[in-house]
Amino acid sequence: MSLNAKVMEFAHLQEKEMTRYIIDATREVFSTMVAMEVADCYPLVEPVTQFHCSITGMIGMAGSYTGMLSIHCPALLAMRITSNMLGMEVEEVGEDVNDALGEIANMLGGHVKQVLSKGGLDLNLSIPTVISGETYTIHSTDNDDCVVIPFQCDEEKFLVGLTLKKEI
Amino acid sequence: MSNILIVDDSSTMRKIITRSLRQAGLSVETIFEAADGIEGLNALGSGPIDLILSDINMPNMDGLEFVKQARAQGCTVPIVMITTEGGEDIIGEAITSGANGSIRKPFTPDQLQEKLGGLL
Repeated sequence: MSLNAKVMEFAHLQEKEMTRYIIDATREVFSTMVAMEVADCYPLVEPVTQFHCSITGMIGMAGSYTGMLSIHCPALLAMRITSNMLGMEVEEVGEDVNDALGEIANMLGGHVKQVLSKGGLDLNLSIPTVISGETYTIHSTDNDDCVVIPFQCDEEKFLVGLTLKKEI
Repeated sequence: MSNILIVDDSSTMRKIITRSLRQAGLSVETIFEAADGIEGLNALGSGPIDLILSDINMPNMDGLEFVKQARAQGCTVPIVMITTEGGEDIIGEAITSGANGSIRKPFTPDQLQEKLGGLL
């Protein structure tokens, strides 16, 4: 798994720089808005497409290039994240958890957009989409054009992924 | 004490902004909430508002259109965009449309104090 080389070349970025931006953005969002410190465990050893009792927040990017920024989080950790963001105990996966994970994806997507726009890419962000369930599978049309970064928060792990490809 | 309208499609973010305003020590009396630009325009008649904080990327009516229509309706209340959209182009468009400033998400209470203290 790696980001599309042509996209990175057009953005005047190397993949390791993009990875570093995502790691820094994730740590900043969690530190500032979630009051949690997270550490990256990059690289991901094996691709993950199937998720169990998890929540996935996604934000689409469209323009000269298309892509998606996603955060995949176990339900228990998602409830802890939401509790911290809201300042109240959240004990079930519902509207609050979905909204919180969507907003984290939104903030990360905004950061990635800003980095890529400086490189000359024309990108617009979508409204966040959130999916959750006991078991679900996420397929990308091109699994080669992505980078997935594992993070650790105490004993739990979550993933942040970025897919980018040239549209035309 | 000030009345503030928060326009953001994320209920989580509206709660975080509300909490952060109080943590920043800003004198807040009433918070009005709206989930998109249309609700934001409707909320302008809810009562006296001293400051509007608006997201940009929202469904139904985004923050840029909200600012344009609010100004077209004669709203003179300071509007500050609180958004993940930190690019100079989109912030420049917001300012041209009538916004008074911007704050990038994620933010800290201290950053809110720094940006908003002079407006309240």
